Amino acid sequence: MIQAHHIGEGWKHLVLILGAIIVILPFYVMLSYSFKSPGEIDRNEGGFFGAQELMVDERCVVVGGSREDCSFLPVVFNYSKAFSEAPLLRYLFNGVVVTLSIFLIQVIVALPCAYALAKLRFKGREFVFGMVLFCLLIPVHAIALPLYIMLAKVGLTNSYAALIIPWTISVFGIFLMRQFFMTVPDDLIDAARMDGMSELSIVWKVMLPTAVPALLAFAIFSVVAHWNDYFWPRIVITGNRDLFTPPLGLREFKGDADGSFYGPMMATATIIVTPLIVAFMLAQRRFIEGITLSGMK
Amino acid sequence: MGNRSAHLWFVAPAVILMLVILIAPIVIAGGLSFTDYSLGNDGARWVGTKNYEKIASHSTYTKMLRSTAIYVLTVVPVSVALGLGAALLINSLRFGRDLYKTIFFLPVMAALLAMAIVWEFALHPTIGMVNDTLAAGCGTFVQSVFDWGWLPFVNGAETWYGHACANNDFPLWLRDRDYAIWTICFIGIWQGFGFNMVLYLAGLTGIPRELLQAAEMDGARSAWERFRLVTWPMLGPTTVFVVTISSIRSFQVFDTVEALTFGGPSKTTYVMMYAIYEKAIKQNLMGMGASITIVFLVFVLFITLVQRYLVERKVHYA
Repeated sequence: MIQAHHIGEGWKHLVLILGAIIVILPFYVMLSYSFKSPGEIDRNEGGFFGAQELMVDERCVVVGGSREDCSFLPVVFNYSKAFSEAPLLRYLFNGVVVTLSIFLIQVIVALPCAYALAKLRFKGREFVFGMVLFCLLIPVHAIALPLYIMLAKVGLTNSYAALIIPWTISVFGIFLMRQFFMTVPDDLIDAARMDGMSELSIVWKVMLPTAVPALLAFAIFSVVAHWNDYFWPRIVITGNRDLFTPPLGLREFKGDADGSFYGPMMATATIIVTPLIVAFMLAQRRFIEGITLSGMK
Repeated sequence: MGNRSAHLWFVAPAVILMLVILIAPIVIAGGLSFTDYSLGNDGARWVGTKNYEKIASHSTYTKMLRSTAIYVLTVVPVSVALGLGAALLINSLRFGRDLYKTIFFLPVMAALLAMAIVWEFALHPTIGMVNDTLAAGCGTFVQSVFDWGWLPFVNGAETWYGHACANNDFPLWLRDRDYAIWTICFIGIWQGFGFNMVLYLAGLTGIPRELLQAAEMDGARSAWERFRLVTWPMLGPTTVFVVTISSIRSFQVFDTVEALTFGGPSKTTYVMMYAIYEKAIKQNLMGMGASITIVFLVFVLFITLVQRYLVERKVHYA
């Protein structure tokens, strides 16, 4: 709009399209390899979808299957192997449990605190708020080591608790909700008190409903961060595959992979990445709002 | 619970968790950084500032600081500049804005670990798509364009691309000590610039169009003049924020290194988070890990405090 008449619209599209090709390239590679047979991957042929000629799974033949029983379309082979070679469903389930628990606990802890900081008068309020502002400076990944030592001391490594505990407190969530609650009119709260509501039910029945948009953005922020997180799970989950989150599962797959398993590995990657990408496509504006939430500090 | 003491019940859980999960670890790391503590041993020996001296002098750790510095000082400026460039271009389009925005934001949503593994594939020295494509360009017009031989005083056979084509010798990327850190940087930029773009797009909507028109009437005829005099100063607060958050994120780079290079070759990609992981978690040198943690925290706190200072000075002209 600013300088549209100076550089032609066409040139801008050209530059952006070149950029877009580089951005999309790995997604293309991932999806394409998840469709192809090992031979096609090695020789780099078959276009995007591969020829989809029936391929024989040699391992299946070795353990005694007949050649007919062991013939698959490459795409079927890759995706079925993704689930059968490693307990991918279990990993996905763990991912869901961990991300949802983290979000729920964050809200249960942050919302009442944010309400108190925004709307209640009490001694030490400024001090607590100062503490929140200070804690905003600390990236949790940076203090992973002492956290790990603490968890190890109480014997909690290799558990769901280890995956969840460090994230139960979101100072960012407190800060965000407090800013939001400041804008809620006091009259609304006074009216609720007149009706005899307890402070606790004010938080959940009056404040929570007014905060839904902010809460939704925060939910996206939190879920995306923890579904994709690799560093923390890598540290606290050592060996026990039953507790692997999706990125850990994929990493393990890579460690084990021999040459012929590129296809299933790419299928696994696709399965892990797809839920968030699809959700993002469906609700783009909300997602961008959520992810860039930290920009509002 | 009485309404009078409600605030106690509301604030206490958060305060306790902040103390235990965020503040106590800093104190613990600070204490352990002066010891040779390792898990499983009951006691720990006080070693004074020996760990810190090692960080300052030992070649492993100077390499760590070096590769972290290269990573941060490359990824931050490039991803901020690309984010700004993309935002300006997209903002000035008549159609197609949403499409580009969606595409450039995709890497931000995707699990970095998964995408790192895919990049490793694409960059595979023999069967990877990148080297295949580069090799396919040899001998065609692509080579004649990109070996820069058409420029005056440039011998096409001696440039990077011309040379690689002539000897069919393309980089090993992640396995080559001259290229590995730059390849890791590239993946970081690829992943992060869309985030910066979105923040800049939001910043751009905050610039009133009248301001640009006024500048044009006052004699800022070229687009560059208007950018320099109006857009860039108005984006000040956005830039401060974008630079800060990019820096903190790049300091924390881990996934790509752990999955693709293990800090190598020859420690050229040995970034701080990976060093903490390797020293403390894998080798059980908790004291050493703790002192790297403290150095790390000092860097991050410094960046954030500079940001707060700049924000308070109100880095904008509105």
